[in-house]
Amino acid sequence: MSMSEQQTLKHQVTLLELVDRVLNRGVVVSGDITLSVADVDLVYVGLRVLLSSVATLEESRERISATGAGP
Amino acid sequence: MIHLYGVVEELAELPPAVVGVDEGPLERHRVEGLELIVSRTVERNDVTQAAVLSHANVVEELMARSGAVLPARFGHTFTDEQELAAAVKTKASELARGLKLVRGCLEFGLRALSGDRASQNTPGEPSGRDYMRTRLAEEKARQRLAEELHEPLARLSRASTRFGGASPDLLQAAYLVPRRDVAAFGDEVRRLEAAHADLTIVCTGPWPPYTFAANGEGEA
Repeated sequence: MSMSEQQTLKHQVTLLELVDRVLNRGVVVSGDITLSVADVDLVYVGLRVLLSSVATLEESRERISATGAGP
Repeated sequence: MIHLYGVVEELAELPPAVVGVDEGPLERHRVEGLELIVSRTVERNDVTQAAVLSHANVVEELMARSGAVLPARFGHTFTDEQELAAAVKTKASELARGLKLVRGCLEFGLRALSGDRASQNTPGEPSGRDYMRTRLAEEKARQRLAEELHEPLARLSRASTRFGGASPDLLQAAYLVPRRDVAAFGDEVRRLEAAHADLTIVCTGPWPPYTFAANGEGEA
């Protein structure tokens, strides 16, 4: 695995860990967990949205560094 | 609707210039001696990226300013103060226990991904019995390796949890590490990385203690 592949992987794992924590862990104060959160699909919907947004962000960063110009 | 971020202890002041989900300003509420951080929000049925990131951001900011934070799980909103107070009251002792557990600690996540799977490279057509023997030996070796990674890190932690029984990852775990042991924990992760160069080990954190927030309920 190359260094840049490693970096990408670490980045994705970090995001996965973030979303997993916010949506699946943490204390549930209410008596019952809402159905929407118990629904596994939701985690992946949220994750997909998050990952795609980060990919977009990275792309725009790469474009900026490639042209050597700031935003 | 009221969105709960978490229960805090010794929060000097609300993080300045930090807004919650839907840009709502943060508020402090006290119920049964517990301090709750909330904001007003609209009712919704979906999870948006912005809302998840806002929640995570607020919890991180509280973590940086408090003696202890018990992060709330995203997803449940309360209709009003009465509903929130009633929910907190029924859980007050668990929440107090949770705060005591996480006080002075940071959370770290670890995932170890194994490089190759020897079973996929077995040449020829082994008999069913040989195949099962090989698989069993491999599984034992995997478990031993996972334990070799987990055990020294767990020893430096106040609490630890392993996840993902069915996951292809060799090890998925979370560790609740006292602040004074964070440097030693980092050294241990680097030692494990060096000792197992064939594995991809990803350590993430420090996180607010999401994984251990519910431990007061006796849930891992």
